[in-house]
Amino acid sequence: MRIIIDAMGGDNAPLEIVKGALSGQKRWGMDVTLTGDTVAILKALESCGVKELPKGMEIANTTETVEMCDDPATVFRRKKDTSMGVALQMLRDGKGDAVVSAGSTGALLTGATLIVKRVRGIRRAAMAPVIPTTTTGRAVLIDCGANAECTPEYLVQFAYLGSFYAKRVLGLDNPRVGLLNIGAEDSKGTELQKEALCWLRQAGEEGHLNFIGNIEAKEAIKGGCDVIVTDGFSGNIMLKSIEGTGSLAGSAVKSIFKKNLLTKLAAAIVMPGLNAFRAMMDPNKVGGTAFIGISKPVIKAHGSSNAEAIENAMGQAKQFAESGLIADIENNVELMKVEKEEFTK
Amino acid sequence: MTMEEIFKTMQGLIAEQFALEDDEVTMDSSFTDDLGADSVDLVELVMAMEEEFDIGEIAEEDLTDLKTVGDCVRYLSGKLSD
Repeated sequence: MRIIIDAMGGDNAPLEIVKGALSGQKRWGMDVTLTGDTVAILKALESCGVKELPKGMEIANTTETVEMCDDPATVFRRKKDTSMGVALQMLRDGKGDAVVSAGSTGALLTGATLIVKRVRGIRRAAMAPVIPTTTTGRAVLIDCGANAECTPEYLVQFAYLGSFYAKRVLGLDNPRVGLLNIGAEDSKGTELQKEALCWLRQAGEEGHLNFIGNIEAKEAIKGGCDVIVTDGFSGNIMLKSIEGTGSLAGSAVKSIFKKNLLTKLAAAIVMPGLNAFRAMMDPNKVGGTAFIGISKPVIKAHGSSNAEAIENAMGQAKQFAESGLIADIENNVELMKVEKEEFTK
Repeated sequence: MTMEEIFKTMQGLIAEQFALEDDEVTMDSSFTDDLGADSVDLVELVMAMEEEFDIGEIAEEDLTDLKTVGDCVRYLSGKLSD
């Protein structure tokens, strides 16, 4: 297994990316190709105490970087030799099994779509982070921001993509799929949710999905379903709300425990549990988010990734590449097609 | 290639990309208004055109004029006869 890593993408590139690549290579037992400026990468390796390229690690030299100000739609036409673009080309050409990048989300998604391509028949790739839930521990949120505007067809496809992801990557036998809405009743939501609901119900009745109907955000966080289907706009708001609530809860708990000597002693007793909670909410521990619907595995690590985040994203990439998820999507794409004229029913 | 042949090829490319039947794509179809294309769709289509018709890279200033399927067919016809 060879993972291609965009060494120049992210706020802490290339040092933290290279550091993460070194530890990830050891931990996951994989070969690594770093794309980027060779001089900068070698300097970063040197800062990590590595004088020579480790066995199984290669550098693919590139001369440009995708910047946050670059237009995602056109950057790969304007800049032909970016660390991100070359990484995606190498993946397309079979020179690696997955790509990890902490660079611009929009550019990575567009690049993955234009260079690596979507699975034939998939209308849009989606971002599907795994979020913590109260009772079941985790759920797939799809989409969390790749597609702000969606059609019912996209949501139907996301439901299948999320369900396959939950089966193959999270190991759930029969994942429960819910459509994020402002209430559980069928009449709730905009036309988008109402139309998508009809199609998802049909898919459920035909036995293609374990669809449980509409679900409110609070119920989803309690573990009411395993796959939360939504448009990227609402999904992003939900994701950021969870992050914000986690941060609020963390600060509140901290101030409670800091009150006096007794509460500080109590804090010492519950510290392992608090650390586990913090880890659950820590993006560096999670690693990254998979782009589902692309024909090969592409993992977006968050922009401020440190070495630990890159190491974990590499593990995610390995798991994704070995999961059989993409074959599942390719083999079932016919099920995901929706007759557009019937939307008006 | 004749205009008709170019149109037929474009029809296939567009139908495939936008998950449509061939006959839903006409010369008058507007990419944004009728097909709901966004900026990524348009770049994807342009790349597919460049590859299919082997015309090299289409200049960015030319892209702004390609608003309908007919615009693309006429543009390609001109390029191919150069």
